[in-house]
Amino acid sequence: MNFLAPFAFIFAATLPVVVVFYMLKRRRTVRLVSSTILWQKFLAETQANAPFQKLRNNWLLLLQLLMLAMAVFALSRPYFAATTQEPGLVVVILDGSASMQARDESPNRFEAARKEALKLVDGLKDTDQMMVLLSAGNTVVRQSPSAEKTTLRRVIEECQPGDTPTRVEEAFKLAETLAKNRANVEVHLFSDGAIPTADNLASIKLPVVFHQFGKRANNAGITAMDVRPHPEDPAQRIVFASIYNASSNAVSVSAELRFNGQFMDTKVLSLPARDVASTVFAVEQKQNGVYTLKLKNDDDLATDNEASIISNLPRPVKVLLVSGGNRFLDKALRAVPNVELSTASQLTSGGKGYDIAVLDAVTPLSNPEVNTLAMNVATTNWFESWRMVEGPVIVDWNANHPLMRFVTWDNVQVAQTLGAKAPPWGLVLVEAQQTPLVVAGEKGRQRLVWIGFDSLQSTWPLRVSFPIFMANAMEWLNPQQSDVSQLTMQAGTPFRQPLFASHDIATITLPKGDKKEVKLGEKAKELIWSETYKVGVYKANFGTNETSFTVNLMDPAESDITPKAQVPVGAQGATAGAISKRANLEYWRWFVMAALAVLMFEWWYYHRRTA
Amino acid sequence: MSQPLITPELLRRLEQLQLLARRRSKSNVRGERRSKARGQSVEFADHRNYVSGDDLRYLDWNLYGRLDKLFLKLYEEERELPVTIFLDCSESMSFGEPNKFHFARQLAAAIGYVALCGFDLVSVRTFPDKPDEAAYRQSLLSVRGRKSSLQFFRNLAHLTATGTADFNAALRRGAMESRSTGVAVVLSDFLDPQGYEAGLTSLIGRGFQVNAVQILSPEEIAPTSFGDLRLVDAETGAQTEVTFGRYRMEQYQAMVENFRQKLREYCAGRGIGIFTTSSADSLEQLLLKQLRESEVWG
Repeated sequence: MNFLAPFAFIFAATLPVVVVFYMLKRRRTVRLVSSTILWQKFLAETQANAPFQKLRNNWLLLLQLLMLAMAVFALSRPYFAATTQEPGLVVVILDGSASMQARDESPNRFEAARKEALKLVDGLKDTDQMMVLLSAGNTVVRQSPSAEKTTLRRVIEECQPGDTPTRVEEAFKLAETLAKNRANVEVHLFSDGAIPTADNLASIKLPVVFHQFGKRANNAGITAMDVRPHPEDPAQRIVFASIYNASSNAVSVSAELRFNGQFMDTKVLSLPARDVASTVFAVEQKQNGVYTLKLKNDDDLATDNEASIISNLPRPVKVLLVSGGNRFLDKALRAVPNVELSTASQLTSGGKGYDIAVLDAVTPLSNPEVNTLAMNVATTNWFESWRMVEGPVIVDWNANHPLMRFVTWDNVQVAQTLGAKAPPWGLVLVEAQQTPLVVAGEKGRQRLVWIGFDSLQSTWPLRVSFPIFMANAMEWLNPQQSDVSQLTMQAGTPFRQPLFASHDIATITLPKGDKKEVKLGEKAKELIWSETYKVGVYKANFGTNETSFTVNLMDPAESDITPKAQVPVGAQGATAGAISKRANLEYWRWFVMAALAVLMFEWWYYHRRTA
Repeated sequence: MSQPLITPELLRRLEQLQLLARRRSKSNVRGERRSKARGQSVEFADHRNYVSGDDLRYLDWNLYGRLDKLFLKLYEEERELPVTIFLDCSESMSFGEPNKFHFARQLAAAIGYVALCGFDLVSVRTFPDKPDEAAYRQSLLSVRGRKSSLQFFRNLAHLTATGTADFNAALRRGAMESRSTGVAVVLSDFLDPQGYEAGLTSLIGRGFQVNAVQILSPEEIAPTSFGDLRLVDAETGAQTEVTFGRYRMEQYQAMVENFRQKLREYCAGRGIGIFTTSSADSLEQLLLKQLRESEVWG
């Protein structure tokens, strides 16, 4: 025999306490009375006051000890190992996305879901196990399979929703992995059904019980926001925003734009039922800052009523072109906006004082120390060995890299190139049969783009992909990150900031003002902050640098809080329906606790009444 | 004794009462009570033949005229009624608020006063014996006449309740020592470990018309001490431990009532007038109503 809760044997310590109570010689008050004749009946009971006499004969004590022992034994949950049906596994997936904070349920959808999940814990059979997954921006396993109801309850009580979109796909994949070698698996999804359709979900074969929450779709939210320079007036910026009305009625909302907290403009928008309306603000901007758009409407979901975006004024990038003379390259670089190009015939002092160094078919006297684009440069420590390759044929290129955006290589011919083995620090972007042609990567804190061939020994400068690649390269190599798109992200998406110097620690200021520290260390190349669960403006401080970044919901699927009767899980989808299951709810623990309480009460009452 | 045992008002009302004796007095001393003895009084009793030497004043001349024979008229002799009050002066009587012994002394004074007013012989027999109070106690034996009542009250007031008493032995001795029987009134709490039966029986056996008054204090009827108690018997000094709570009050009171009921039944079975009272009860109520209704006096 074993015990599921051997910790309960600690209550056995109360057994000697009962005995001690009986053995205690009670302190008595001396009273002079006329005669003890009238007290004869009461005298008989007090014979048990001599300690050892009563322990021999006192049935009450024996019964109390027996009762207490049985209660303690029951609390320790004894069991015999025996062959029985395999215990079932209940996987609880709690949708912790932004839409679960809608207030159409009381107090909100997530709390209603939590209440239902706790009921499910109560109905869990003793042999069954439960696993709790919180699915928000990513899926977190809050509790691995366990039959401990107290733990499960505590874990569910601790779950909190975020401002992130739903990512239940991960949760279902996880559940499927766990269910692979188990029978009797049942997945309970506690959600409002605002789940984007995904192919992977359709293939899930697990039995899914969908607990649906949400009553109505009274919500209008910002689903997109961007800021651009004004095409006609460089002093002005244009702020775009898309607002989605999820309700079945047309609504009118007031949108207020602020810059660094200062009021800029307001517009009243008429939003058709279940449709998107766009608006544009043209405002003058003299410094870097944050635009915040706020919808003034009293809908059920507050998270998407506000969105922020970082807007930095363009800053020139200092580029040093070290070349023997390449008009194509020179022109392509000058065509890139915000580039301040300088030319030199030789690289001195590692290119210090410039943001980017471009080496074109030269042999530098010193290794470049800034971000570098190198074409046909051999004498560096970037590769192990060199060889010349004649007439390389381009066989593949990586179109997903930021450098290769809108760049194609299908009509580029190269006469000859330096050949080398792909280095560990770099990613091959363009590949010939014999050698990589273009490699990009980070070596230490230095970003490098290496092109093996001389552009003048190829048809590339004549192709449209050449200036586009150069523009992409200038953007990627720019250490100042003028691209604000990287400073605005969806809730749940990690913030990444490349580091060009070593820092020990970075401090992140959360939207509510709380500060958290991130340890970086000597070798850290990037600051990554993944806890972007709440919308708002964050600040990252490292060294003397300060970078602001904004986290927004901006997800039409989340803003559409229409309760869904079906979720796209499995081939047929899971439908919300009757979810009550026949389960044997055990109450024996309460009775045992009551027995203990009665025992204690008996003592207390006895002493109180005789006091 | 600063406070008089009985108020003048009560004394005035008691003067109108007279002890009722169910039996004729057997005393040898002349008094106001009818007796079986023949003697001088106004109550005609019988005739008897004249014998030489009889007092000619008692000859019934009318009968001589009709029958021509000499008959002597006999009259009932009136004797005094001995009233013996057995007063329990043991330690147990000193308890209670109001004090049981004070109540008993008041009762004794009242009964004694009624008897003295009725020209009866009053004796207060106290127990246990106490040498330091011997003079007062001696003075309380054989008190006659109303004029003695003041001294009688004073002597009663000097009595104290201390020591251990043997109730049965005290009553037996009192019965034996009484030269003539009459009315006996026992004033006690009857809380004697040896019981009360033997004592009362000896009084009955001696020919007393017995009345008994059991006096308990309010504390004895409804105790106010609760919890784990060590009770010390005031008379014996014996210690006993009890656990007593409010929840057992009814049980206790039932036991007290049971004790009193047994006493009542015992007395009723032997023709003893029994009264159970509390020292907190009204003395007037007991004297003028209960004792009167029970024809102890009228």
